[in-house]
Amino acid sequence: MATRRPARKGSAKGVAKGVPAEARASAATGPQDERRLVEAAQNDPAKFDALYELQFERVYAFVASRVRDRASAEDVTSEVFHKALANLASYEWRGVPFAAWLLRIAANAIVDHAKRAAREFPAPDDPPEPANDLVVQASEMRAIEHRAQLFRLVEQLPAIQKQVVLDRFVEQRSIKEIAQRLGKTEGAVKQLQLRAVQNLRAQMEGSNG
Amino acid sequence: MANRSLALQLDEVVQAMLVSLQPRREKTPDRELASLARVAQELRDLPREEFRTALKSDLQRRASTSESTAAAKAGTGEEQVGTVHYMRPGLTSITPYIIVRGASQFIEFLKTAFEATERMRVPAPDGSIMHAEVAIGNGAIEVSDGSDAYPAAPQAIHLYVDDPDATYARTLQGGSTSFYAPTDDHPSGDRWGAVKDPFGNHWYIAKPRGWTPGPEGLRSVQPYLHLREAHKMIPFLVVAFGAEAMGVHASPQGVVHHATIRIGNATLEIDEAHREFQPMPCHLHVYVPDTDAVYEQALRAGATSIEPPRNAPYGDRAAGVKDAWGNSWFIATYLGNK
Repeated sequence: MATRRPARKGSAKGVAKGVPAEARASAATGPQDERRLVEAAQNDPAKFDALYELQFERVYAFVASRVRDRASAEDVTSEVFHKALANLASYEWRGVPFAAWLLRIAANAIVDHAKRAAREFPAPDDPPEPANDLVVQASEMRAIEHRAQLFRLVEQLPAIQKQVVLDRFVEQRSIKEIAQRLGKTEGAVKQLQLRAVQNLRAQMEGSNG
Repeated sequence: MANRSLALQLDEVVQAMLVSLQPRREKTPDRELASLARVAQELRDLPREEFRTALKSDLQRRASTSESTAAAKAGTGEEQVGTVHYMRPGLTSITPYIIVRGASQFIEFLKTAFEATERMRVPAPDGSIMHAEVAIGNGAIEVSDGSDAYPAAPQAIHLYVDDPDATYARTLQGGSTSFYAPTDDHPSGDRWGAVKDPFGNHWYIAKPRGWTPGPEGLRSVQPYLHLREAHKMIPFLVVAFGAEAMGVHASPQGVVHHATIRIGNATLEIDEAHREFQPMPCHLHVYVPDTDAVYEQALRAGATSIEPPRNAPYGDRAAGVKDAWGNSWFIATYLGNK
């Protein structure tokens, strides 16, 4: 029997110990803007907010692509930002994007998380750690940037479409339940879902073009 | 009509993604649908807004209260961060804790009937099982041998599987008795069968087919509580655990025919006890961010204390309460390995 199992999104065991500086993880703002934000937060941790807003989707997209479930993605993402805040003074501007520094913290946090889980629940059928997972490839970084951008665009959807996307994909509610919650027919909810995904695709194509 | 058709097709793709929890390779010669499906696939990892907001607040609090500490420790890379790993790895917010006579045999039954995997076993000095943890699908069950202090307490479990007929057959081979064979006529719309195992537990074996609230993307294992005055359980869980009632089907008189209740990242189901599905007071293990707060909330909601919060030797902040129906709720916050 194959009962339903969580998606195994790549190995959670073999993850990067280092993210190359050329990972092209620079933020949407320019490097100088980012540098000012980092220095402001180094002088006043209360200003870490701005960095969080800028980097949340990127870090979450990276972590979610490498751990096995939402609870783990949230745990690790939380750990990354707490560590970043606590160690912000150690970040030195040497042309390395702040995002790359964050993702290096994330990569290590993912390793730690996987080790914790493996120590408590060894899974003999899991494949050995593949060596090529020790580096984050540029293609993976492009995928992460793409996904982070998609997450940001959800914010800009019309309110009703955004609600359907959140209910369906995050809360994983049924079409029937969403229809009940929104006071709409199931057919209307499916249309809203289609329009939302079409909107996102169009905007992604626009932002990539 | 073409657009409507695309909406239906996309939803079928989304449904498959959410139910199977695995990106399914679709044979989609339709390029339009395929490109939409790629976007939908990526949306599966969309973060929760509540998490984004809560983490920001948490960081703000930390920034405002520990500025000097953070600066002093900066550069060491050794700081122990405030963590939100409140669930023990491998467990979700709600795990059934089944106490049986013959825990070892029960675990063998779970392996045979449900392809369960034993993840942990802690034997007692007399050779019985003090504690064990068994994975079924993407869920888990905790098991221990009954004792005078904790007598056997079978319970009802709603189990989502890919092949309910084969699973049902294996449970019968394992000595279960049938309530009814898998049928497509169950009110949920799912293919659904029901058995009672040799240890007294009920297993509602289902494959999600219809769109009942709850199952998509959720756990293989869901506790199912048959209760008298089930409607009163909902406000208790809301107050005690911050639960959310996801779908309540009740008669005009308010009798709950079925309700799905979410706590954290897991769900349980309740209904009004009926026919052979009578109350089975049971034990549930619930991970929460703050055991002490939930313990107090549960007492305020009418529960009685089994044990006040303590730091358990296995690394949880743990407490226990009993609800008005006789169910025991073991509240826990994972403290990690630190």
